[in-house]
Amino acid sequence: MTEESLLTLNHLAVGYGRQVVLPDVNLSLPRGSFTGLLGANGSGKSTLIKTILGIIPPLNGRVEFASVDGRPHVLGYTPQRDSLDPIFLLSSFEVVLMGTCGRVPPGHRINHAEQDWAHQCLRETGADQLSRKLFSQLSGGQKQRVLIARALATKPDFLLLDEPTSGIDAAARKAVMELLRRIHEQQHLTILMASHDLPIVRSYVQRVIWLHLGHVLQGPVSELLTPEKIEEILNLEMN
Amino acid sequence: MEEFREILGPLLRNSVCMSLLVGLVCPLVGVYLLLRRLVFMGVALPQISSCGIAFAFALEAWGLFPHSEGSENTLAFAGSSAFTLVAILAFSFIERRGRGLMEGAIGTIYVLAGAWSILLLVKNPFGEHGLLDRLKGQIIAIPDSDLEWTAASFAAVVLLLFVFRKEFLLVSFDREMAITLRKNVLLWDSVLFLLIGLTISMAVLSVGPLVTFGFLLIPPLIAHLFARNMRQFALAASGVGGFSALAGFYMAYKWDLPVGPVDVALLGFVYGLVFVGKKTLGALRPKARDAGSPTGVEA
Repeated sequence: MTEESLLTLNHLAVGYGRQVVLPDVNLSLPRGSFTGLLGANGSGKSTLIKTILGIIPPLNGRVEFASVDGRPHVLGYTPQRDSLDPIFLLSSFEVVLMGTCGRVPPGHRINHAEQDWAHQCLRETGADQLSRKLFSQLSGGQKQRVLIARALATKPDFLLLDEPTSGIDAAARKAVMELLRRIHEQQHLTILMASHDLPIVRSYVQRVIWLHLGHVLQGPVSELLTPEKIEEILNLEMN
Repeated sequence: MEEFREILGPLLRNSVCMSLLVGLVCPLVGVYLLLRRLVFMGVALPQISSCGIAFAFALEAWGLFPHSEGSENTLAFAGSSAFTLVAILAFSFIERRGRGLMEGAIGTIYVLAGAWSILLLVKNPFGEHGLLDRLKGQIIAIPDSDLEWTAASFAAVVLLLFVFRKEFLLVSFDREMAITLRKNVLLWDSVLFLLIGLTISMAVLSVGPLVTFGFLLIPPLIAHLFARNMRQFALAASGVGGFSALAGFYMAYKWDLPVGPVDVALLGFVYGLVFVGKKTLGALRPKARDAGSPTGVEA
């Protein structure tokens, strides 16, 4: 692991059960970087993110995090918003409050300081006016803001987002990406964002990891997302 | 009013209290079955619990336990709890392996439990009478000790559901988020399922599988039609259950009908009423929004 790296993946194999999706992933993410995780549907973006988060156990290899000021790292996670069941009658504020649960012992009430922090995260993402509305009744873009606020409420060292701009209109997409850019610049958070939206990734991130055919390409946007390189990769995928 | 005085008299007081307890507490655990889309489990578990009771009585009939007066309740509780807890652990294991498999497994176990309850019962000279009463939902003679034992168990369930509501809600709403927060998801799932299992075991022992299933699922379904938040959802489900239990007991006594089926029929009636009421209000609401009503839901 290099000194600047927050995350290093060593010969990591990811997949479900016996089905290997990515057989050998080797990469590191610099601290404070904003990285896009690109790839076609089914290329393993979500599987890789869930393995990094510890939701899916790795089939092989290691996920290593550098320590942060001598304490365990904290992960903020924004899942695909459709994965959350609308049957739950939770307000947006209650959803964000869940982000503070990592710091509250079992059986204890969430104190006023944590509640204030949850409100602050909602304000930070421009979603404070949604706090009393049912999460299930929000639009796609509004839900995304609330889920980003929830991820921020964990006070993360590393923010991972799974397709935050999919299925929302262009204006909402731009607003979400501007929000992520601002959070990255102001808080110097390390961000990994899975997306299949090439123009969005090109406009907002610094580095790219591109998954294709079980292989992993990585590099700065300026090198990996040139028209020639994109054409080369897409041709490979089509062939 | 005369009937009310009679059912609250010494002869039936325990039965009314037991009915009320089941009506108040079953919906509180039923809320989680509904939220986790495990309604089929709510159908199957009371049936499995009954099968456990039939099995325990069969052990006695086969001579593996000596038959004695007063041992039925202990046997029934042991059989009911053992079968329910094993089934719940198996279901929680299967739940993580895919929805299709889960539904198939629950359906199969439900049918098997029903069949085995009858097969075990049909040749049992000791258990037949008592178990048939339970299966029909006859809530007649409840000893003080049964009522106290059930009340204590339900109090523990409600207390734990309240104290750990944050944890249960988190692992139910977003399991992946809970893992990233380093919560022990397996532990919280197990505790929740054990509380559900204990409630169902105790309820089936007292009021039978039909009534237990009715109170587990119909009050939460009714409450979800009008509740605005999770607290309202749980409290309204419990309130509807408690009210229906009391009203059902009164109607069954007044018209000389079995209590259990009356309770369930009443719940069905209330569900239909609230459903139609909500649909009617929904149909009227767009007009109100056109007229500039501030209650219009934002698109």
